[in-house]
Amino acid sequence: MTTPDCGPNCEETLRAIESVLDGEADVLVQQQVEVHLSDCNPCMQRAEFRRHVKVVIRSKCGGDVVPPALEARIHALLDEPPRVP
Amino acid sequence: MAQTAAAAEDPALRERFERDVLPLLPSLYAAALRMTRNPADAEDVVQDTYLRAYRGFAGFQEGTNLKAWLYRILTNSFINTYRKKQREPQTVDGPDDIDEWYLYDRLGGRSVELSAETEVLDRIPDQAVKQALESLPENFRLPVLLADVEGFSYKEIAEIMETPIGTVMSRLHRGRKALQKALWDTAKERGLVDDDDA
Repeated sequence: MTTPDCGPNCEETLRAIESVLDGEADVLVQQQVEVHLSDCNPCMQRAEFRRHVKVVIRSKCGGDVVPPALEARIHALLDEPPRVP
Repeated sequence: MAQTAAAAEDPALRERFERDVLPLLPSLYAAALRMTRNPADAEDVVQDTYLRAYRGFAGFQEGTNLKAWLYRILTNSFINTYRKKQREPQTVDGPDDIDEWYLYDRLGGRSVELSAETEVLDRIPDQAVKQALESLPENFRLPVLLADVEGFSYKEIAEIMETPIGTVMSRLHRGRKALQKALWDTAKERGLVDDDDA
């Protein structure tokens, strides 16, 4: 990997970036990463890229049209008489 | 008390099911497609999920996480019924040789502007991104689907998949790396990037 060579905190920042972007990092780590990113353009570019990858996956992996027959079968389930499990 | 009552017997329960659960059909169907990679199997899994959810709805506590509850049923349905049928060998080995910055290093680092790299991703057709996700082995595909498409937290995914959270994080990390490579491959195949990557 072409590691950005901008300071001692790059490696730590990039290691934490996944959990930060997932909203899973603890507050302290998140603050440290934000401070570093505001100062380090190469890391910021990487972070923004990763954020964009997430956006692309989310926006492009849905929207499948539900087959009308499936929708009808599911609505029909609601009228099913209760059964003993 | 209401544990044994089926939703069909209780008009209020049925109404709540129609209001809260039926609207999730498109996202559950899309998720089932990504899991099964096949429309007929996705329909079976979704129908089974709705049947189980409807029968168990009286036991669902209103105010708790409905979406996670449904995805847990969906995932169980996929794993228990569909996967048994398929006997798909479970891949344990991960794509460990892929660097975390695989895609960035290939798309990026070439220009000063980030927009060039992100535009390549934007130009990959939806269907190709879906196929890239579906190309991942199931153990890695599910966490990526649940995190990046559905937006569940690590803890929710651990509950949905009944897997320890550390395992979820590791599979998610490795799954995302594999997905980066799959996206790169599809971008290359489609001529969206120069193939000068030795």
